[in-house]
Amino acid sequence: MDKLARLFALIGGCVLSLLVVQTCLSIVGRSLNSILHGDFMQSAMPDVADMLLATGVGPINGDFELVQSGMAFVIFAFLPICQLSGAHASVDIFIQNLPTRINHALRMITEVVFAIILVVIAFQFYQGTLSKMNSGQTTFLLQFPLWWAYAFALTGAVATAVVAVYVAAMRLAEVVTQRQILPTELEAGH
Amino acid sequence: MTDIAIGIVSFPALLVLIFLRVPIGLAMFLAGFVGLMFVTGDASLPLARLKSETYTTFSNYSLSIIPMFLLMGYFATLGGMSQALFNAAQSFLGHRKGGVAMAAVGACAGFGAICGSSLATAATMSRVALPELRRYGYSGGFSTATLAAGGTLGILIPPSIVLVIYAILTEQNIAKLFLAAFIPGILAAIGYMIAISIYVRINPDSAGTRPRAPYRERFKALFDVWPVLIVFIAVVGGIYQGWFTPTEGAAVGAFGTGFIAYLAGGLTRSSLAESFYVTARTTAMIFFIVLGAAFYNGFLALTQVPQEAAAWVSASGFSPWTVLILILVFYLLLGCLMDSLSMILLTIPIFWPVIQELDFNLVSMIDLQSARLGDLVASGKDIPAAALEQAQTMLASGQELTRELTRELGLRGVSDGALNRINIEQTAIWFGILVLIVVEVGLITPPVGMNLFVINAMDRDTPMTETYKAILYFVASDLVRVVFLVAFPMVTLVLLPW
Repeated sequence: MDKLARLFALIGGCVLSLLVVQTCLSIVGRSLNSILHGDFMQSAMPDVADMLLATGVGPINGDFELVQSGMAFVIFAFLPICQLSGAHASVDIFIQNLPTRINHALRMITEVVFAIILVVIAFQFYQGTLSKMNSGQTTFLLQFPLWWAYAFALTGAVATAVVAVYVAAMRLAEVVTQRQILPTELEAGH
Repeated sequence: MTDIAIGIVSFPALLVLIFLRVPIGLAMFLAGFVGLMFVTGDASLPLARLKSETYTTFSNYSLSIIPMFLLMGYFATLGGMSQALFNAAQSFLGHRKGGVAMAAVGACAGFGAICGSSLATAATMSRVALPELRRYGYSGGFSTATLAAGGTLGILIPPSIVLVIYAILTEQNIAKLFLAAFIPGILAAIGYMIAISIYVRINPDSAGTRPRAPYRERFKALFDVWPVLIVFIAVVGGIYQGWFTPTEGAAVGAFGTGFIAYLAGGLTRSSLAESFYVTARTTAMIFFIVLGAAFYNGFLALTQVPQEAAAWVSASGFSPWTVLILILVFYLLLGCLMDSLSMILLTIPIFWPVIQELDFNLVSMIDLQSARLGDLVASGKDIPAAALEQAQTMLASGQELTRELTRELGLRGVSDGALNRINIEQTAIWFGILVLIVVEVGLITPPVGMNLFVINAMDRDTPMTETYKAILYFVASDLVRVVFLVAFPMVTLVLLPW
């Protein structure tokens, strides 16, 4: 499970990095494009400028569409590791002085509910992907089918649901066997 | 039950869940989901919303700034920028009374300029500064308190993740909010340094001395800070100048700090993986809260609670200032329990409509007319001289220009509607900065402030009570600043053109 969560975090990180690089390239392209179109280049060396422009120097078409669809995957890919390490923000000062057994029981109930919700989210998201597939909706600029982006992100949603069910099962086992299996949650840094 | 009653009942239900340590995002999600079921009668509407709402929330272009800023902050640490900042600040301030602590605050402010979150700033700077503070004989509680307070600068000094969220919730311009946070952020750093110097005068044993650094060493240390400067100027300057959108700015920042970290040799395969893990956990945590809040707020909007609350407050005849102060006190109390992001997401959809209804009169018609007249004169257009003179005398004596006069001058953008728009924007920005500060004070308020726990955990020899004693000086400095910024809105708003 740890491997699965880490794998998704790594892929998500790589996609995020690609989006970062892609955005930077688009900015560079846009700046070069406006410099080449600018008065100085057009009067000083119009041939060079036009030649470069002809190679397609410019902002990446639909760059923010890529950021949007990529980001949906990134977030879903980041959720499993957050789920597994219990990094969700919570307020624990009110119950930390309660007996350990009550604490463990509460944590177990929370994780079970959380798992149910994440499974529902993944399932509904799957339904949403199907309906995008049937409607044939495409993105505005790049004209690629929106369901591609949905399906891509769906992998992360499914992984999140799997990890959440695992965590809930382990917490349940902990309460039953009175043994600690998973580490208690980390301090959420943000 | 009426819809409004359901909406009102959802608050205590939500708070109970949160206090039972249900993750805040999940609690909001559940409250919103169950609330929608009650309002619409069955589960089909909330389930249908789930088909695409997760995707649309997670693919929000403005929100994609968040993972990029997080990555940027982590890369900045890998690139040794926290160390460089602390060295530079220490070489200039270290020899003063309490100087190493002041240097820690200064370095936190500098790191805040490339990092968008409070706990990350506190934790990063602690790793660098705590050993140094202890080496020069600073007492444990004083050291941890300094860093816990210094960390709050991370969220105030732009870029700031919480401000991004606030901007989206209130539909304000992110660049303007960043700009408005600048002066309050600097004031905070100065206020903390004053708190430090008062503390060491009252408790002379709490701080040792550090030898004065020679000037050559100082400038060498200062020179090492150049990557921070470049990244900050490129990101915040670029966003403000309109070279790129805030999201693009964050991408530039992440790329820049990543590149610097690579040059500094801090970016290895394992540290890159580690930075992905850390970014992943925090990003996922934030986005799940955002998702929960979107659900909860969608439900609340359906129950009309925010509109009713706003109507009730504006009909109640409370003065705007009373309402503002009550809201700020509420944040101060809740801020002790909850992290700033969750609080903003939970409360702004209710408080913002209320605040929007109130008239703080931040910009008067006379201010607006004077400013537009100034623009007109500066534009070098032909203006009838007699009318201009008459207008200037009227404004100087505190009279509004008549409609005939503005028409004769060709003065544009001075309608009541324009004034109203400007006032709402100014109020939104000012209120946002105030809320941000108050929430951050909560983070360092004993006995439960979160920053205190994070930092105290990094210094095992120091009992929590020692940190509590020293942090009071910083909290006092914060409160003075809040009162100052409430009393003088111009301090926050002066950099903003309208």
